Amino acid sequence: MSSLLDALWEIFTSNSTYEGAAVAAGLLLFAASGELIAERAGTINISVEGMLVGGAFTAAVGFDVTGSVVVALVTGALGGMIVAGVQAEMSHRLVADQFVVGLTLNILVVGLAAFLEREIDLETSRASKLVIPLLSDIPLIGTALFGQPWPFYLLYALVPVCWYLLYRTRWGLEVRASGEDPQSADVSGIDVNKRRRQSIYFAGLTSGLGGAYFVFVQIGRFEPTVSGRGFIAIAAVIFGGWTLRGTVAGCVLFAGAVSFRLSVQGFGYDVNSELLQALPFLVTIFGMAIFARRVRPPAALARPFIRGLK
Amino acid sequence: MIPTLPDETGTGADVAPVPAVELRGITKNFGAVTACDRVDLRLHRGRIHGILGENGAGKSTLMKILIGLVLPDDGTIHIDGELRHINDPITAAKLGVGMVHQHFSLVDALTVWENVALGDVGQLDHGAVRERIGEIGEHFGLVIDPEARVGELTAGLRQRVEIIKCLRRDPSIVIFDEPTSVLTPEESSQLFASLRDVVAVEDRAVVLVSHKLDEVLSATDEITIMRQGSVVDFRPTAEADAPTLAHSMVGRDVALRSERAAFGMIVEDQDGSAPAPAPIERAASPTLRIRNASASGSGGARLLDGLSLDVCPGEIVGLAGVEGNGQRVLGDLLSSLVQLSAGEVEVAGRVIATQRPGAMARAGIGVIPEDRHDSGVVLDMSVAENLVLVDPKGVARRGVIDSARLDALACDLIEQFDIQCEGPDAPLWSLSGGNQQRVVLARELWRHPKVLVAAQPTRGLDVGAIEYMTERLRAAAADDVAVLLISSELEEIMDLADRIAVIYRGRIVGEMTRAEADLHKISLLMGGAAA
Repeated sequence: MSSLLDALWEIFTSNSTYEGAAVAAGLLLFAASGELIAERAGTINISVEGMLVGGAFTAAVGFDVTGSVVVALVTGALGGMIVAGVQAEMSHRLVADQFVVGLTLNILVVGLAAFLEREIDLETSRASKLVIPLLSDIPLIGTALFGQPWPFYLLYALVPVCWYLLYRTRWGLEVRASGEDPQSADVSGIDVNKRRRQSIYFAGLTSGLGGAYFVFVQIGRFEPTVSGRGFIAIAAVIFGGWTLRGTVAGCVLFAGAVSFRLSVQGFGYDVNSELLQALPFLVTIFGMAIFARRVRPPAALARPFIRGLK
Repeated sequence: MIPTLPDETGTGADVAPVPAVELRGITKNFGAVTACDRVDLRLHRGRIHGILGENGAGKSTLMKILIGLVLPDDGTIHIDGELRHINDPITAAKLGVGMVHQHFSLVDALTVWENVALGDVGQLDHGAVRERIGEIGEHFGLVIDPEARVGELTAGLRQRVEIIKCLRRDPSIVIFDEPTSVLTPEESSQLFASLRDVVAVEDRAVVLVSHKLDEVLSATDEITIMRQGSVVDFRPTAEADAPTLAHSMVGRDVALRSERAAFGMIVEDQDGSAPAPAPIERAASPTLRIRNASASGSGGARLLDGLSLDVCPGEIVGLAGVEGNGQRVLGDLLSSLVQLSAGEVEVAGRVIATQRPGAMARAGIGVIPEDRHDSGVVLDMSVAENLVLVDPKGVARRGVIDSARLDALACDLIEQFDIQCEGPDAPLWSLSGGNQQRVVLARELWRHPKVLVAAQPTRGLDVGAIEYMTERLRAAAADDVAVLLISSELEEIMDLADRIAVIYRGRIVGEMTRAEADLHKISLLMGGAAA
């Protein structure tokens, strides 16, 4: 019993656990912040997984060509937006079922990226670390929050920007109205499907950045998969009750579970590895089971809007 | 079709001003249905113009064309004498046309100020919007808390928000589409008072779209009457009276009580033609007894709050109330769609489990649901299939439907209820609304229910269909069925019910016999005033 407590103490007092959690949460936040806005407009944007992979691929290509992480972030964002373009135009211009489009897109993008990776040899590396003096000296969380490779700090701008967009701009108001009551929004003179498309493009932008972050911060090389992290980001949005604050909390919780798992293995504790692998997903499921009942999704979530249709 | 508009350039002493809005030859077809047929209309500043017509006469379509929600197939719109193309509500707003929508254009989840700001352009300025709401509120007596969430407001207050939203853009032409359908009579008269203010201030042109004669007669300056997509009459209100208007609206004389009731003409009981007052205090125990029923919505909102109601055999109980006070939930409860958190439902002395699907139907409750497309019929299935949808046992053997028996039963019901259709195999969508409603009625009555619940049974029907429906409800009561009539048309309740119960926020706040009932008392109860 005491050895278990010792183990937990070692894990929870180690900087590396918090660093791992911050890095994992970073990816989820890039994906979930855009996903939140897409969902508030009324789309369950399951192609976020494909957006991450697409962004990761184009970011790796951008770096391979120019050798610049800045360029890689830009091409990553563009890659995410290309995937978003297919989702947005198919589901909110041509009124194809958003889930069918999203599922197809996820499979397509992962397959295409895997194929292209074998065809072209992509040179990648990690982005350089930027340690912020003083702040990074805070015990436990200092290096986790202020001693990361520099693309991590984009999050400190992205999250407030999302909040401002959603709650303080006319665009955000119209996005929320489109997700709650498209009929009323339409009558008020809002182009509902345009707002929905735009919000998916925004999700493509943030997820594309997330893909670049995955390559240059999280794993340091290109892999044609993000192993379901896009879906965990969707779960974080739901867990967070479609609020930005809750979404951030969800990302941190789920990332914490991932990091805990890695630390357990990293410190050499002998725990069934399959069980450990399942831990983040178990936390996700329990988190959803406890919190998902209490929250109210946007009223028109996942319902297509056709003008004049009653 | 001869437009009977007065000749503006005629011999009148004053030269008439250019109309604020002039519609010329507006035509709109939806498939084979002509919603508007070469409609001409002129609206003048400083006047309230009533547009009167039955459901489906084309009033709403015409107004949607003016506001840019529907594009006309033919015809032109002139605003202040200039030809304009209105393709969307934003263009309409820029030209000064605003509309107060029948079913509201408000988003429940947003606050009042957010809703008012919705549809504007430019920077979102919380302070400025709040200030404007205050100004308008003071100016027109429409005071409201800008931070309140719209979903939590009463229908009257929601309409207030809708009006403020419309007036915020300072429109010179304001359209009110069936504005009183969700209001208590008290709230309606308040609305008409502010309507006058809107006209008097800054010389706006106001349109009041309605199917109720009395409100058009009392609130307008001139009246256009539409029937089947065409303008059939136009006259100043001073030269109009109810019988002639009703005649123009329907195309024939309107004499029947229930018809007059359908147009909002309250029928007083002095003409001796009233149905014999129901024998009060029957010996029989109530067939339907609801005791302390409580139910909550998904958001924790109390939908039913200790509602108790009895309906005796042979009695028609009318449930009056402003829409959204629990009527729909009550209908759903009696269709086994809602589970009670407390209380119970008894049919003929037996307690019925509310959580079991279909239990109410098996216990002998027939329901004519409020929204027949949503929960009454399956449009893509045939008439025959729809007729046995609730209980196919009568035409099935060991779970297999016997098509010969199904056909025989369907033909029998089609004849008995005079359903106009091509036969039992015709898909339901090929029937008119009135005939679809007959299918629902036939299905529910065929099983000889002990209790018949009719929720808004005449909504959207034309006069003939209304007459048929009311006759059938009376006949059912005469057959000792306990009839619960849920209606937001007070006139319909006053006409049909033996006993009247008023629902407010999920509970019954007052009960009276038809003889004791008076409009003022009921409308106070509907508005939530203590009994």
